[in-house]
Amino acid sequence: MNEERKLMISVQDVTMTFRREEDRSGSLKETVTKLLSRKLKFSTFTALHDVSFDVYNGDVLGIIGRNGAGKSTILKIISGIMKPTKGNIIRNGNIVPMLELGSGFDFDLSGRENIFLNGAILGYEKPYLFSKYEEIVDFSELRDFIDVPLRNYSSGMIMRLAFSIAAVVEPEILIVDEILAVGDENFQKKSRARMMELMGGGTTVLFVSHDMNQIREMCNRVIWLDGGTIRMQGETKEVCDAYRI
Amino acid sequence: MTDINFKKIIRIGLIVYFAAIALFTVGTLSRLKDGSVFGLPKFLVYGAVVLVLTVCVLLYVLHLQKRLKSGKDAFGLRVLRTIHKYRFLIEQLVTRDFKIKYKRSVLGVFWSFLNPLLMMIVQYVVFSYLLNFRGTVEHYALYLLCGIVIWNGFNDCSTQSMRSIIGNAHLITKVYVPKYIYPVTKVLSASINVLLSMVPLLLVTVIYGLIATPKLYLSFAVLLLPLALLLLLVFCIGIGFILSSLMVFFHDIEFLWTVFSTIWMYATPIIYSLEMFESRAPWLITVMQFNPMYHYINFVRSIVLYRTAPTFLEMGITALISFGTFAVGLLIFKKCQDKFVLYL
Repeated sequence: MNEERKLMISVQDVTMTFRREEDRSGSLKETVTKLLSRKLKFSTFTALHDVSFDVYNGDVLGIIGRNGAGKSTILKIISGIMKPTKGNIIRNGNIVPMLELGSGFDFDLSGRENIFLNGAILGYEKPYLFSKYEEIVDFSELRDFIDVPLRNYSSGMIMRLAFSIAAVVEPEILIVDEILAVGDENFQKKSRARMMELMGGGTTVLFVSHDMNQIREMCNRVIWLDGGTIRMQGETKEVCDAYRI
Repeated sequence: MTDINFKKIIRIGLIVYFAAIALFTVGTLSRLKDGSVFGLPKFLVYGAVVLVLTVCVLLYVLHLQKRLKSGKDAFGLRVLRTIHKYRFLIEQLVTRDFKIKYKRSVLGVFWSFLNPLLMMIVQYVVFSYLLNFRGTVEHYALYLLCGIVIWNGFNDCSTQSMRSIIGNAHLITKVYVPKYIYPVTKVLSASINVLLSMVPLLLVTVIYGLIATPKLYLSFAVLLLPLALLLLLVFCIGIGFILSSLMVFFHDIEFLWTVFSTIWMYATPIIYSLEMFESRAPWLITVMQFNPMYHYINFVRSIVLYRTAPTFLEMGITALISFGTFAVGLLIFKKCQDKFVLYL
């Protein structure tokens, strides 16, 4: 461990409470009639309760826990998609979330146009994207189809393009929700290797996975979330061994 | 992340500012020539106002420069930085919307020219031959066209931006981007069409003006057209903010809005003129002052059809409506935006 490391993310006493109406109404009429008849009930659901941790430069932090433990919620809060009900997040550095591939694709546009659209959504700058364009096309192995509208792509081709765009990132903080291996066997190998390369390349990574082998292999620290609170955090081996039981 | 090139922004900003002042002055020349305010000739007062405004602008630029040098934060700098950071995304989203619109049509972008023309012809035939509105309004075809172009522009912007948040739900729940971008880009891409529809409007005005009796030529007042469109744009963005945030919570807004906008259209003098009701319902003119669209359409008709700039009071009211709506929209959007992700 280095002595002086830059603090990249600081999560301070974050609590996230969702307010759920019993059955959420989507229409004006329903809400008004319910309000009038005082039937509008709220039940609260606490997804995260007073969670605090720090992430330093170069950390590969694994987040484990069962379904509904709050893993995805904490990732969404860190990347700024959600605002926590209480608590603070301090971020130093640009964050690239690799949550779901191809969210920003438009199926009427060609592969080329989608590279730029999706790249812009992921926060790349224009000159950077232009310089990386060839690399993206080569990686996706879709050069022959790059001017074809996306609606004519097969689902495997779409995933390959999406992965290739996301894979050229050089972020300071990378957020990964499960390792993404897409496409045919050959491409799966390639994409897995690229992910490992990205995560092992000295960037700060937040990594959510159910695959304990991957967690043991990649991470130097692990946080175990259970029912919205941190059950345990520390060295990978310690936490993973405890989680098994 | 590269920082903003402040000098370049200032240079371009000042050029745009002085060009705008020049255009505005030439455009309103007909209103400045004679008349007086507080006993002083109008053009003197105008000159003083412009001078004060220019001094204020320059002072603000100096203030920002000082803040930038000392490394302190300022509201203006924050806005510039955000726009700088996301300008590529804005550019991409606007081009996407624009491309998608005509992607599978044969005539493509020509529909932006054709649509208002065809609408005008249909309504002209119906209302001038069947209902005989022609006699009461001079240059009825052009009168119609001005109204149609502006109303369609507004309608397009508002319906497009209404769906901007729920339509981009898959992005909002996955990637962090300032949410203001979505309604703003929708309005921007729709307003490209408004801009394009100015071509048939001006073309028809020139051609029609040559054949019509009495002849009708474009005047310098037409230089105010960019201002009219800009004010409409600001108004539309404000409406877009309001509609798109309401839409997240109540999907009924979509259907309500279709009905409401139809009512609004008939409540606006697009196919008829207020003069028709002068004797029957004189109160209508007072009530109409509260209809924002009446002001925008009147603005355009004034500079295209009546060949004169609107009065300064009229322009002030229009600007007030635009920026007022924008401010209200911004406030509502700001208040709601953290809740969007929970309801999408």
